[in-house]
Amino acid sequence: MMLSVPAAGVLLLLAWIHPGDGLYFHIGETEKKCFIEEIPDETMVIGKYRTQLWDKQTSSFLPSTPGLGMHVEIKDPDTKIILSRQYGSDGRFTFTSHTPGEHQICLHSNSTKMALFAGGKLRVHLDIQVGEHTNNYPEIAAKDKLTELQLRVRQLLDQVEQIQKEQNYQRYREERFRMTSESTNQRVLWWSIAQTLILIVTGIWQMKHLKSFFEAKKLV
Amino acid sequence: MHCELSMITASAQLCLLVCLTLTAGLTLGLGSNQDVEFTFLLPAGSAECFYQTTARNDSMEVEYQVIAGSSLAVGFVLISPSGYQLVSDHRSSEGIHTVEPTEDGDYRLCFDNSFSKLSEKMVFFEVIINSQSGTGGGQEEWADIAMTESMVEYKLDDIRASIDSVHRHLEKSRQVQAVLRAFEARDRYLLEDNLWRVSFWSCLNLFVMLTVAVTQVYMLRRFFDTKRVRT
Repeated sequence: MMLSVPAAGVLLLLAWIHPGDGLYFHIGETEKKCFIEEIPDETMVIGKYRTQLWDKQTSSFLPSTPGLGMHVEIKDPDTKIILSRQYGSDGRFTFTSHTPGEHQICLHSNSTKMALFAGGKLRVHLDIQVGEHTNNYPEIAAKDKLTELQLRVRQLLDQVEQIQKEQNYQRYREERFRMTSESTNQRVLWWSIAQTLILIVTGIWQMKHLKSFFEAKKLV
Repeated sequence: MHCELSMITASAQLCLLVCLTLTAGLTLGLGSNQDVEFTFLLPAGSAECFYQTTARNDSMEVEYQVIAGSSLAVGFVLISPSGYQLVSDHRSSEGIHTVEPTEDGDYRLCFDNSFSKLSEKMVFFEVIINSQSGTGGGQEEWADIAMTESMVEYKLDDIRASIDSVHRHLEKSRQVQAVLRAFEARDRYLLEDNLWRVSFWSCLNLFVMLTVAVTQVYMLRRFFDTKRVRT
């Protein structure tokens, strides 16, 4: 039973930071890649990433050295920085939104050793989970001592709650859009009328001025 | 003999550890219904590529939409692991493509904004993988970690209350959707009115401008003609 504790530890670590064989992209040395998440307020977001470095000898991507990390910067809808931290070559970052809107998640590598990137690029596997996808159901089952049926119902309740939150946020967004549309409508109308009036007035003034000019110069 | 016993137990534990790690790794890696979505900024004059790993005989659906940017259009290419170009959209604002069955390897999705010199685009894309192989994903594991259903210790009333709660929330969702649909229709009509108004007033504007120009030229010529008549 001595090894069961490290076994559990390894499992937990694996579940914690392993983003799976999902989407990946390549990032250059000084390149910054930004992703936008538009979320309602009080929503938790968990991002996991895994990096791999191109190895010239084996001509393949290998797990990168521990020294190579990524700098993660997260901005809220008011462009205020809510998280700015350095993580290792495999990392996990999490934040909870306090205002609804577009949050920006930016990643760039913190490598100072140019030699490491000499071969080309760094491969980053990224996985971002939002809302009820961040819930750790095995943990909830263990904490509340739930059976499988209860756990599934709990998942359904969380999903529906998230749908309702998103819809409330959508209603708030729609209201803002409606205000912008109505203000544009007003502006277009008044500017058009003003423009027409200005044109007519300018035309009349031009004629009067020219007439008096010609009369002064004794041409007419 | 005591040493032998502990050694056997240790090797059995090691085997168990390896098995558990492999299972956890595999189940975490394999997702039955994987859904990846990202919204990112594509700078002007550049291209960004994303790679998605798939297994054989899966189905992959890619959907993208340009959210912001002056012309709301990007170029999109989808390249299979064997290098064959499956999809090539030149300057489109949205698209939805399905690849079935998929090959084993990495599919490449590229978004191209090189035709635009000034405006950066905000692109939303979603990749949905429906895996034929693989188990039910995370939910199959719950049989092991959840408590065993002993008898029917929770009453049907509990289940009924939970289902009622879900039902009420879904009803509320449907109502909100109806309201939002009405608002969207109203906004659409308002914008269509705006279009009519902009067109009308622009035409009127143009007409007034031309009239004023012609009147000016005519009146100037009349001044000179009057002068000649007088003398």
